[in-house]
Amino acid sequence: MRISGLVGASALALVLSSGAFAQEASLDLVEPIAEYKIYVSEKVAKLVEDTTAFTAAVKAGEVDKAKALFAPTRLSYEAIEPIAELFSDLDVSIDSRADDYEKAEADPEFPGFHRIEYGLWEKNSAEGLAPVADKLLADVKELEGRIASLTFPPEKVVGGAAVLMEEVAATKISGEEDRYSHTDLWDFRGNFDGARKIVDLVRPLIAEKEADFLKTVDANFATVDTTLAKYKDGEGYVTYDKLTEDDRKVLAAAVNTLAEDLSTLRGKLGLD
Amino acid sequence: MRDPKNLLRSSYSFNRRRLLTGFGATALGGSLSGVVRAETLHHSVADAPVANAASPEDSVPHLGLHQAGVVNARPANGMVASFDVLARDADELEALFRTLTARIAFLTVGGPVPMLDPKLPPADSGLLGPVVRPDNLTITLSLGASLFDDRPWLAPLKPKHLTRMTRFPNDALDADICHGDLSIQICANTQDTTIHALRDIIKASSRQMILKWKQEGNVPVITPGPDGRAESARNFLGFRDGSANPDSSDAAEMDRVVWVGPDEGEPAWATGGSYQVVRIIRNFVERWDRTPFGEQERIMGRAKMTGAPLDRREGSEFDVPDYASDPEGKATPMDAHIRLANARDEASRANIILRRPFNYSNGVTRSGQLDQGLLFICYQANLEQGFITVQRKLNGEPLEEYIKPVGGGFFYTLPGIRDASDYVGSSLIAAARGA
Ligand code: HEM
Repeated sequence: MRISGLVGASALALVLSSGAFAQEASLDLVEPIAEYKIYVSEKVAKLVEDTTAFTAAVKAGEVDKAKALFAPTRLSYEAIEPIAELFSDLDVSIDSRADDYEKAEADPEFPGFHRIEYGLWEKNSAEGLAPVADKLLADVKELEGRIASLTFPPEKVVGGAAVLMEEVAATKISGEEDRYSHTDLWDFRGNFDGARKIVDLVRPLIAEKEADFLKTVDANFATVDTTLAKYKDGEGYVTYDKLTEDDRKVLAAAVNTLAEDLSTLRGKLGLD
Repeated sequence: MRDPKNLLRSSYSFNRRRLLTGFGATALGGSLSGVVRAETLHHSVADAPVANAASPEDSVPHLGLHQAGVVNARPANGMVASFDVLARDADELEALFRTLTARIAFLTVGGPVPMLDPKLPPADSGLLGPVVRPDNLTITLSLGASLFDDRPWLAPLKPKHLTRMTRFPNDALDADICHGDLSIQICANTQDTTIHALRDIIKASSRQMILKWKQEGNVPVITPGPDGRAESARNFLGFRDGSANPDSSDAAEMDRVVWVGPDEGEPAWATGGSYQVVRIIRNFVERWDRTPFGEQERIMGRAKMTGAPLDRREGSEFDVPDYASDPEGKATPMDAHIRLANARDEASRANIILRRPFNYSNGVTRSGQLDQGLLFICYQANLEQGFITVQRKLNGEPLEEYIKPVGGGFFYTLPGIRDASDYVGSSLIAAARGA
């Protein structure tokens, strides 16, 4: 028993040995963070622009046009979710779901993108959505303003890569995010792009020391790319119900592994 | 003339009683400590965990001809988790099996958890503190038909009787809690240990498999009587469960009932394995509690308080019914659960299974009823002659009004990890490479 205990423990040590020790925080992060801020600012500017068009269509009662604009508009939001979530009040009013409210869809407090999505797809109507649309646009503009004056905390930026994957792993892989429109694959795209952007920005800092780690991470991003590519449709993606069970499993494993691996990114950069 | 009583008495529970009383007497006579006595008593799958006898240092060897967690006694907590496996080829499947073997080797033996730089996520969830102790933990791996069916290179190696679990007439299967490529049965003295093991395994294998469903359960802990004998634990219908189980400490009997041998027409790699059946069976307990006591006993075929057979009410759960003297079912109705499940004649000897169930209690249904039931697990060398035949005999039984199978699956329990250089599933991988 004792002997196999040692074997067990050393096997564990082997499994966990790579990357067990983190580094000291580095001034080198200044540049990647500045670049990330530009990335986020561009995305949020695009979000405001797209949301303006989307909400205008909703208010004009142009249901088909609004439907077509829904997923592409969200793309920019999904890519910067870790930063947007720093303002939890705005995240709730922009992106919360029916389950967050006691009366679900019928709850008068149910706001934002998903409230509009529900009306457009389930009711095929924009009736009564004008105030929701106004509020959404106002919130998105408010988000842009707050981001402009935000000092980006390095651990939130670097940790954001894992946060994006945790989001997908916990509540998106099930297809429950865009449950009325089934445009989930667009959101995935946004989340993966956002995570990869962060990895790419810090890549030079760890390229040498963490070559194996980066190889694994890149391989999983590549798996995601090839899988999503199968479902491409024009500028975007087919609906989530078209995703085969096999591909859903492949995506789920890639997301879990990315979440697991990217959770060490902060430590690898010496951030506490 | 053949004495029918003799035939009937040559049953497994009879053996088990002899063993229990035998050990009990030794323990009492030799004035051994309570713990030792309890350990001696607690040795067969059917036996309930003994009160105050469990220790975190309890350990079950994870190496051997067969996997642990099948014929050894049930500790108080059990769980089945089912996974989808990603492996596309033999190398990837081997990698998964080796990952799992390494985790089994650590978790069931225990030791200090590795400490990493605090800037990194911890290597261990920390649920058990800085040192993991074995706590009677067993981790048992079994494979579902889909693992074979979906992989042309593995399909020819599928065990003969392994199929996707079929629907039986009383079933209302919920796709979210059925089937899977790989089942992991995790049992331990405490729930923390089973959950710690599950979380450790998920963390170690996230790139290789995805959790599909899980069900936890437990076995009530029993205080032995004055004679040192522990009775079987009760299930959520209030009846003793396990009385008539075969004696799992009898190796020859287990070779016949549970383990697949080399001459059973199974692929050679499967020798030393077993068929595992998991059924999540909901009990309608409110309705059961509104059913007359006498009817409950007639439905089960045993006395509720003692577990004694109905033709031997003054006896104990270890007595066996004499159906030959009760051909019309006056004492034990012909459609009683235990009579249908085991007619106790020559033919039904081929259908003996080893039951290893846990009670589960999940929450409240939409209708405001308790969601409780039996995490039924059984092992057998022949799935067709074992569970499937017994369940067919049970189809239409009066108990069906009170139970609803909602989930589970059929799996093949891999042969054991032979020694520290071996890994679970090595014979299957070797066969897949040879094929
Ligand atoms: C919720 C569902 C079930 C309940 C509450 C239940 C309960 C019981 C009880 C109280 C006994 C008598 C004590 C004992 O010998 O263990 C028993 C015996 C037995 N049950 Fe079940 N059972 C259930 C499901 C099943 C299923 C699904 C099978 C197999 C298909 C099964 C097979 C057996 C067998 C083989 C025996 C022993 C009969 C004998 O040898 O006398 N049971 N069960």
